[in-house]
Amino acid sequence: MTVWLMKTFLLSVLNVAVALLFSPLCEGMMRKLRAAIHSRVGPPVTQPYWDILKLLGKEDLRSTGGAVYGALPALTLGSVLFLATLVPMGSDAPLAFAGDLIVVLYVAAMSSVLLMLAGFASASPYASIGSSREMMMLLSVEPIMAIALAVGAFKAGTLTLGGIASWQVQNGPSISLAIGGVAFFLALQAVVGKLPFDIAEADQEIMGGPLVEQSGPRLALFRWSIWTKQLVLTFLLVEVFFPWPHSGIYLIDLMATIAKVLVLLVLVAVVDVVNPRLRVDQAMGYFMRVAVSSLAALAFAVIGR
Amino acid sequence: MADQATTTRVREIVAARCDGALLSVTQPHPDTLQFRVEKTGLRAVVEGLVHDLQARFLISVGTDARPITGDFTILHLFSLDREHLYVLLESPVSDKELSIPSITEIIPGANWAEREFRDAVGVHPEGHPDPRRLLLADDWPEGVFPLRRDFPYNYQPPPAEKAKPQLREPPAGASVMPMGPFFPVLEEPAYWRLFVEGETVVGCDTRIFYNHRGIEKLGDSVLTYNSIPYLAERICGICGFIHSTCYCQAVEKAAGIDVPRRARYIRTIMLELERIHSHLLWLGIAGHIIGFDTVLMQTWRIREPVMWLCEEISGNRKTYGMNTVGGLRRDLPNQIKPKLLETLASVEKESVAVRNAIIGDTTLHARTRGVGLLSNEWAKRICTVGPPARATGVAIDARLDHPYAAYDELPPQIATQTAGDTWARVVVRVTELLESIRLVREALSVIPDGPICAEIEDEIPAGRVGVSVVEAPRGEAVHFVLTGGDNRPYRWRVRAPTYPNLQAMPAMVANANIADVPITLGSLDPCFSCTERLETVDRRTNSVRVYSHAELLEISRKKRSSEVSKQTAGRGGSQ
Repeated sequence: MTVWLMKTFLLSVLNVAVALLFSPLCEGMMRKLRAAIHSRVGPPVTQPYWDILKLLGKEDLRSTGGAVYGALPALTLGSVLFLATLVPMGSDAPLAFAGDLIVVLYVAAMSSVLLMLAGFASASPYASIGSSREMMMLLSVEPIMAIALAVGAFKAGTLTLGGIASWQVQNGPSISLAIGGVAFFLALQAVVGKLPFDIAEADQEIMGGPLVEQSGPRLALFRWSIWTKQLVLTFLLVEVFFPWPHSGIYLIDLMATIAKVLVLLVLVAVVDVVNPRLRVDQAMGYFMRVAVSSLAALAFAVIGR
Repeated sequence: MADQATTTRVREIVAARCDGALLSVTQPHPDTLQFRVEKTGLRAVVEGLVHDLQARFLISVGTDARPITGDFTILHLFSLDREHLYVLLESPVSDKELSIPSITEIIPGANWAEREFRDAVGVHPEGHPDPRRLLLADDWPEGVFPLRRDFPYNYQPPPAEKAKPQLREPPAGASVMPMGPFFPVLEEPAYWRLFVEGETVVGCDTRIFYNHRGIEKLGDSVLTYNSIPYLAERICGICGFIHSTCYCQAVEKAAGIDVPRRARYIRTIMLELERIHSHLLWLGIAGHIIGFDTVLMQTWRIREPVMWLCEEISGNRKTYGMNTVGGLRRDLPNQIKPKLLETLASVEKESVAVRNAIIGDTTLHARTRGVGLLSNEWAKRICTVGPPARATGVAIDARLDHPYAAYDELPPQIATQTAGDTWARVVVRVTELLESIRLVREALSVIPDGPICAEIEDEIPAGRVGVSVVEAPRGEAVHFVLTGGDNRPYRWRVRAPTYPNLQAMPAMVANANIADVPITLGSLDPCFSCTERLETVDRRTNSVRVYSHAELLEISRKKRSSEVSKQTAGRGGSQ
């Protein structure tokens, strides 16, 4: 029992550390790619680390008081780190248990909700508009992620992410899960606030939306949690929907997973850089269509494809 | 040039409408008719001009002519575009009764112009719907009119406390979303107070003129004819050459100076180069506003060689200092031609690539089609100019309507669209960009040799008027000059294209989504520094106190927290 506890604890720490430490690097690489498409040199890939360090060293200014408001950035980052322990990242999820899929959905939504609360609490008109947009986006994107994971759960007959992954490895690709994976990817773009769906932040319209009143260490934590979420959810997408090739040799599989994660992040960055921002009603219409298409995946799953 | 039949017809219509209020008719230039009417007959004449002749209102000029005639003068400027004719409608206003009938009811586009002369010379437009200040700062003392002759250019008003813009309150149920005075997509200060219900804009109010620099006042009190072009060039950071050309042309016209052909061609080339880099700049900014930074980065990269060319020609990327009354101070070196052509070829190739990329981009269409709609009818009534006008089917272009520089020999093909939305404005500008490249090429192939500046022997006589328009990238710029003694204009009036275009903004954002407001404003290509060229003098308090960083922080926090607590106390159930 203690061995199991120790192992779970160590693996959780490992997942959290990987997510925390490497997410700024991934963001840095995405910025570099963005710059390349812009014909710019761009900042060094380590820039996000310096951003965080610099912001952490600044004064903690708050537009309103309250203990809960003060704790929101830490809670947001905490929720994302908790998510990291529930998602398989190169090995089994440290906190895997029966039904973890449902918890994952809730925890993934939690950081958005907390950011939204921070926006509403800061009493700026831009932040309230941003927060209400965040809410609309969350409501249109969350069902898609749920449907995509439900397809996996239905096919594999389990409610654990690990279970779906191993079922995928054993049974090979299927139409329904491929559609689910694509739908999940489209939702991912919105969840991590990349163009064309960075509607809640929309610098040019509402000056950063929920983040407008956040600065210094608070902004650092919010940024960091968004980047970390981006990395963790990409791992989830790769591990659950595209786990092949699976050689059984751990190191090779790990390298393959990392390579796939990087490819997906590149895709996210490319979509981000070649699109203007949609209006929130247009984005909701778009995700409505994606949701309907992902229902098709469920139908395919029912007929066993 | 207007033909005889047109001028006769205009004279007849004005005389008929005047009903005896006509004081005099003159034709200072072949393309300019000047009527002096009693103010009692003003509205009838304006109605005649607008309804019978489809005249387009340009601007009003309020002049303190007391030293000359004993009266103030309000002059309304009109353009008969198809007939290539300017109509100047002048009314004397006695200082016993400082008012004149407002024409805003007939021409909504005269709204700001009338508020402006009320602020500047103190002539009240009777029946004007908006009693608020336009260009004077909110802490400017009452009854001090900066464009009066007895107002010293270096006057320092006493510091005022608690000055606040007079802005309208939102309608019931709507809340305020401030866009400005400082906002990410506004390069310059402007305050759009948007009234929103959810994400829908149900109305708006504006306060601009935060940046007046007293340029017109300096022009008629401190500078001389030949130093004004350098100041005029600094009216705008993008279309500086347009303003200096426009000013020089107005003076040249007033003084009857004939500018050599070569100078006219070089002006044309520089004006078109300015349009090329301005439109590329705009395209980038428009992309940035809707989050499409790839467009911004690429168009500005394409634009850069044009700036280098300008630097090679004039010594400066911008603010060339080439124009002077009578022609140019600097020739276009012949050896630069091959390089110019080569750069134009690559700019053209890359611009076409950008055009093809954006024309096929469905997301871009989604964000611009049907956004910021301006109807043809309202565009005419509010006197919109430039690409926003042409995008709604109003085919006006100063280069064709009042040919200047070398445009009489190089007429441009103008691009028009009918949709009147942001996408139409994109298409118009991109087409114009390619047309400008063609014009520069053509100008280079036929540019004659010869002198670049006219010899001016006589002094410029006083009391002459000159009106000049130049088609800037944003629309038509208007300069009006009334010559004076002591080697400077008696009155110099500048109207930048953004001035009328901004007045169309409230109609364009009515019932829009908040997300569409920045791109709608951006699609006008607004230039606030152009618009706000007028009268405020630096205000300095006599004693200077230096605050330390910590003290400033302390003050701003104290102020902020007291305001926040006040707001939260007063908010109650309003949210």
